[in-house]
Amino acid sequence: MYKKTLALLLVSLMILTMAFTGCSKPETETAAPAEEIIKVGWMGSLTGDQAVWGQCELDTVKMLFEEINAKGGVLGKQLEVIGYDTKGDPQEAVNVAKRLTGQDKVVAILGPNASGNAIPIAPVLEQAKVPDIATVATNPKVTVLDGKVKPYNFRVCFIDPYQGAVAAGYAIEVLGFKKAAILYDVADDYSQGLTQFFEEFFVSKGGTIVAKEAFKFGDVDFRPQLSKIKDAAPEVLFLPIFFKEAALIANQARELGITVPLMGGDGLPSEQLFTMAKDAVQGTYIVNHVDYDDPEVQDLKNRYKTKYNKELELNGYLVHDAVVVFVDALERAGVADSVKITEALETTNVKGVTGQITISKETHNPEGKDAAIVKIEGDRYVFQQKYSAK
Amino acid sequence: MSRFLQQLINGLSIGSVYALMAVGYSLVYSIMNFSNFAHGGVIMLGAYFGYYYLTKLGLPFFVAFMASALTTGILAVVIERGAYKPLRERKAPFLYFIISAMGASIFLENIVIATIGPTFKSYPEILSRTPIQLGSVTLGRIDLTMFIISAICLALLVFFIDFTKMGKAIQATSYSVKASALMGINTDLVIIVVFALGGFFAGIAGVLFGMKYTVYPQIGIITNKSFIAAVFGGLGSLPGAVVGSILLGIIETMTSGYLSSNYRDLIAFALLIAVLVIRPSGLMGKVTEDKA
Repeated sequence: MYKKTLALLLVSLMILTMAFTGCSKPETETAAPAEEIIKVGWMGSLTGDQAVWGQCELDTVKMLFEEINAKGGVLGKQLEVIGYDTKGDPQEAVNVAKRLTGQDKVVAILGPNASGNAIPIAPVLEQAKVPDIATVATNPKVTVLDGKVKPYNFRVCFIDPYQGAVAAGYAIEVLGFKKAAILYDVADDYSQGLTQFFEEFFVSKGGTIVAKEAFKFGDVDFRPQLSKIKDAAPEVLFLPIFFKEAALIANQARELGITVPLMGGDGLPSEQLFTMAKDAVQGTYIVNHVDYDDPEVQDLKNRYKTKYNKELELNGYLVHDAVVVFVDALERAGVADSVKITEALETTNVKGVTGQITISKETHNPEGKDAAIVKIEGDRYVFQQKYSAK
Repeated sequence: MSRFLQQLINGLSIGSVYALMAVGYSLVYSIMNFSNFAHGGVIMLGAYFGYYYLTKLGLPFFVAFMASALTTGILAVVIERGAYKPLRERKAPFLYFIISAMGASIFLENIVIATIGPTFKSYPEILSRTPIQLGSVTLGRIDLTMFIISAICLALLVFFIDFTKMGKAIQATSYSVKASALMGINTDLVIIVVFALGGFFAGIAGVLFGMKYTVYPQIGIITNKSFIAAVFGGLGSLPGAVVGSILLGIIETMTSGYLSSNYRDLIAFALLIAVLVIRPSGLMGKVTEDKA
C-alpha cells in the first residue's frame, strides 16, 4: 500500500517535470515594472557548433541594452532582452520564434545569425506581425522569396550573391587565380547559396572550377574529398562554410600536402579558427563585413573586452548594428508597437559600426554595403582593402 | 594507382578511428547483450580528460594518455554501477538498458555543455602536422600513430582475453552468464572488468580523436558509425569489430573518392543492410543456430 502511493507520487512528479521541460529557461534582465519595459527578443545558437557566436551576440545585446537603459532607455522605457537558444536547428528556431511572439509578446526579434534558421521563421513572424532583424544571415531567401519581399524580415548584412561575387572577383582580378576548387556543405542553405554565386561569378569572369566537392554537416574527416581536390591542382580553395569544418579541412589539407591559399566567406572569421588551426590557415583570404582594425569600431571592441574579457566576434559588430537599427526604428515609430516598428524599419538610414545602413523598401536589405577583404596573418585578421563586386 | 593507394590510406585512417571505438562496443555487447550507447559519451570525456591533463596539468604526453584511459576506465565502471547494475538486479527487460544508456549519453554530453561550455578545444601539437611522403602517397603522422597504438592495444587485448584467467572468465561469461556463475566465476567482477576495459579503450580512442580532429561535446555522435561497424563485423566478436570498422572506413572513402561524397552514407548503410540480410550475425559473428 505504501509502495503504491510512493510510486504514484513519483509518477506525478515525473509528469510535472516533463511538462516543465517544454519551457526552456529564457535569459532575461528585468528591474522595472511591466508598463515601463519594452521587450525585445533574441534568438541564436547558445549550444552547438556556432555557440561561440550566439553567446557573443547575446552578451553584446545585454551590454548595449544596459548602456541604453542607463541613459534613460528609449521612449522613456527600459529595454529588456529575452533570449532563447535555437541550438543551431531550424525546427527549434521556429519553436523559439513562436514562443517569443506568442508567450513573451516581444515587439521585435534580433538574430538569428544563421540563414538556415532565419528562413523558416518567416510564417511565424507574419502571423504575429513581429519584425525580425537578422544579424549575419546572408542567404537572399531570408528577406526575398520568389521575387517577393517578406514583410517582416530584415537584415543588417550583405547577401550571398554579393558575397560570392566579391570573393570570386577578388580571387580572379586582384589575386590572379584562374583555377579554383570548392568544398562545401550540402546540408546548409548558406553554403549552397554562396557556392552557387561564387561559381557563377568566377566562371563569368573567365575562371574555371577544377573541383567541386561536398560534405555533410557533422563530418569531421574530409580526406577523400581533399585528395580529389589535390589531384585537380587548383590555385585556390574556396570554403563557403563555417569555421569548425574550415579549421578541420585546413588542417587535413595541409597534412595531405595541399599548399594553396584558402578563401572563405563570413562563416569563417572567428577566434576559434586560431585555437583549432592556427598554422594551417595562415594566408587565408576572407570576405568579411567589417575591418576589425577600423578606428570606428575600436570603442565597441574595448567596451566588450572590458566587460567580458573576451575578444569581440564578428557577430557582435552586426548585432550592435541590429540594435542601432531597432532603436532608431522604435524612436521614429514613437510607440512600442510591432507593426509601427516594422513600417519604420523599411525606411531606415543610420550609421552603424559596419557602415551606413540604408534599408531598401523592396528587399529589406541594406543597400551598397562594402565588403572588407581580410587576410589571416599570425592570429589576426589583417585588413587588405574594401572591395565591391562589379 | 597512386590515387587509389591514397584513398586506401585515407580509408584505413578513418577505419582505425572507428575500430578503436567499435572494440569497446563489442566488448560490452559480448557480455551484456546490449548496445552501450553511453560509450560515445565516455569517448568524448576521454578526449576532454586528455586535453586537461595535457594543458592544465602539463603532464608529458604518454602519462596524460595513460591517465585519460585510466580515468575513463573508472568512469565506465561508475556508469555501469549507476545506470546498469540496478537494472540487472531487477532483471529488467533489455529495452530498459538501452533507455538507460541513451539517458547516460545525453547526460554526459549536456554536463560538459553546461560546465565546460560548447567551444572547441584543441590539443597542443604533439605530433607535427607535416605529413610523411611515401612516393606519391601522403600519410599523416597522427594516422600512423593511431595505427600503431590501435594495433598494440588490440594485440594486448587479444592476449588478455585468450591467455589470462580473467580473460577466460570473460569468454565463459559471454557464452552464458548463469552457467558461469554456477561454475563459480564471479560474474559481477567480470562485468566490472569488461566495462573498465571498454572504458579504457574509449579513453584511448577519445584522446586520439581529439588529437586528430578537435574536442567538443558532440564527439559521441561519431560513435554511431562505429556501432554500425561493430554490427557489420559481427557484434560480440572483437576481430569482427576491427575488420568491420576498417572495411567501413575503406568503403566510405572509396565512395567519396570515386563516386561522390553525397553517396557515402547511402552506400555504407545499404551495404550494412545487405550484410545483415544475407548474414545476420555480421561478417565474423558467431552463427548461432539451433542444432536439431
